Amino acid sequence: MADETPIPRRRSWRLLILAALPLTALIVIPPIALLIRTSPGTVLRYLGTSAVIQAITLSLWTSAVSLLITVIFGTPLAYILGRGHFFGKGVLEVLIDWPIVLPPAVAGIALLMTLGRRGLIGAWLARAGIEIPFTPIAVIIAQTFVSCPYYIKAASVGFSSVSQGILDAAALDGASPIQRFRNVTLPLASRSLMVGGALTWSRALGEFGATIIFAGNYPGRTETMPLAVYIGFEIDIHQALTLAAILLIISFGLLLGIRAAYSKV
Amino acid sequence: MKHLATAVLIVLAPFCFTGCGRQPATVANPPRTMISVFAAASLTESFTEIGKRFESANPDAGVEFNFAGSQQLRAQIESGAEADIFASAGEKEMNAAKAESLVKADTVHDFARNRLIVIYPKDNPAHIAGLKDLATPGIKIVIADVSVPVGKYTRQMLDQLAADPAFGPEFKKHFLANIVSMEDNVKSVLGKIRLGEADAGVVYVTDVTPEAAKDVGSLDVPDRFNQIAHYPIAVVARTTRGDLAEKFEEFVLSENGREILSEYKFLPVSAAGR
Repeated sequence: MADETPIPRRRSWRLLILAALPLTALIVIPPIALLIRTSPGTVLRYLGTSAVIQAITLSLWTSAVSLLITVIFGTPLAYILGRGHFFGKGVLEVLIDWPIVLPPAVAGIALLMTLGRRGLIGAWLARAGIEIPFTPIAVIIAQTFVSCPYYIKAASVGFSSVSQGILDAAALDGASPIQRFRNVTLPLASRSLMVGGALTWSRALGEFGATIIFAGNYPGRTETMPLAVYIGFEIDIHQALTLAAILLIISFGLLLGIRAAYSKV
Repeated sequence: MKHLATAVLIVLAPFCFTGCGRQPATVANPPRTMISVFAAASLTESFTEIGKRFESANPDAGVEFNFAGSQQLRAQIESGAEADIFASAGEKEMNAAKAESLVKADTVHDFARNRLIVIYPKDNPAHIAGLKDLATPGIKIVIADVSVPVGKYTRQMLDQLAADPAFGPEFKKHFLANIVSMEDNVKSVLGKIRLGEADAGVVYVTDVTPEAAKDVGSLDVPDRFNQIAHYPIAVVARTTRGDLAEKFEEFVLSENGREILSEYKFLPVSAAGR
């Protein structure tokens, strides 16, 4: 497919590279600036402190759980959106985008209005003795809320790009719907699912605004890495820089790992 | 819908201190000399009023404000922000600014004090009638993080309570166990209580404005446990409008200024001055 596009001549390439530079610089320089200001020694020293370990542990397990929830419930939704034809599909697609366009702080308030103990559903839960705000569950819900659209969107594009012809051929060969999904659709859409999953996980790991409003800030319970960086910024800029560098390394490592795993598949 | 709009305002209010930046007190008329006042977030209401009065007393002068956390303001002045006046909610930040010669040392004066108060949602779901109720197991308390001045004072208050035999160390232990969140500024504590998400919180007396009082009830903290926050003001060393800046500081320290501050529930500086 790639061969169909004409290869630009050297001069055009130079122009293209020149045009691509500003955004590349904008994305690449800030993390470098952050890492330059921190020494590996201090990073290692902070990595050993219980407060940092607590924040990292909490961030990793909550974001992993929210990724899991997204994959379990997002895959059927993405399939419906990618391959289904029904009334109101366009509206549903726009609705699923809304956590992406919403400022995270507003997402936090919306979650409080829904699941807070005076909220639409929360008031009802509170009567049953279940209160979600200020718990790790609130952290997971906030992360899932803001990050699941990335997976759903990517996965639905992946599912929709699987050609009906191939599926029909498999059906003719006697493959059951489950076999068709497992052996045809899933492998063909796997790249989209991987990319979407990686985006969702990174977004969940970096979630800040909705978490601090909906889940509050309590070390070991709701203080994830981004919150620890923010609070640390007010105490000691060096500590905040170090935490930020650690967060950067973890999320970069995560994306790199997923990419490596994918290229082996 | 109205409920949602109020909630949005309440929760986003603290973010406005960083987001909204400078707010001109009035629409500028060209020939006036403008001074820039960097003031602690808790001074938002009172200093806006002081700015208006100062302008009407000095028609050729204008005041613009930058309200934010004192720590943040100091960092901004340090990195070269154009400020003429620095009004801090804590002595720590002012002392740091003085040590770095960011402010004129001879212009540093305390102009107001503040104290702590316990607040709870108006309908008082945890039935808080006295300080001792804050140790009831299972209630939800929200305070400010220790990095925020009010969070530091809250912990000092707890130490005082723990030292009193009527409360004791057990009280402090239970109180700490009830904390569900340590917020990054005092207005976020207020917001969580106004929305009824937590049962009690500790803020400054001045945070319970008439508007906030519609949603929260309050419990006074006796003097022997209470902590007093000192608010110092100073002229920024690099100012090019020193005369006007000093005039503004004088206005804040004057009878007029003190009256406005007391209208907003700030305590006067003790008679002995500094």
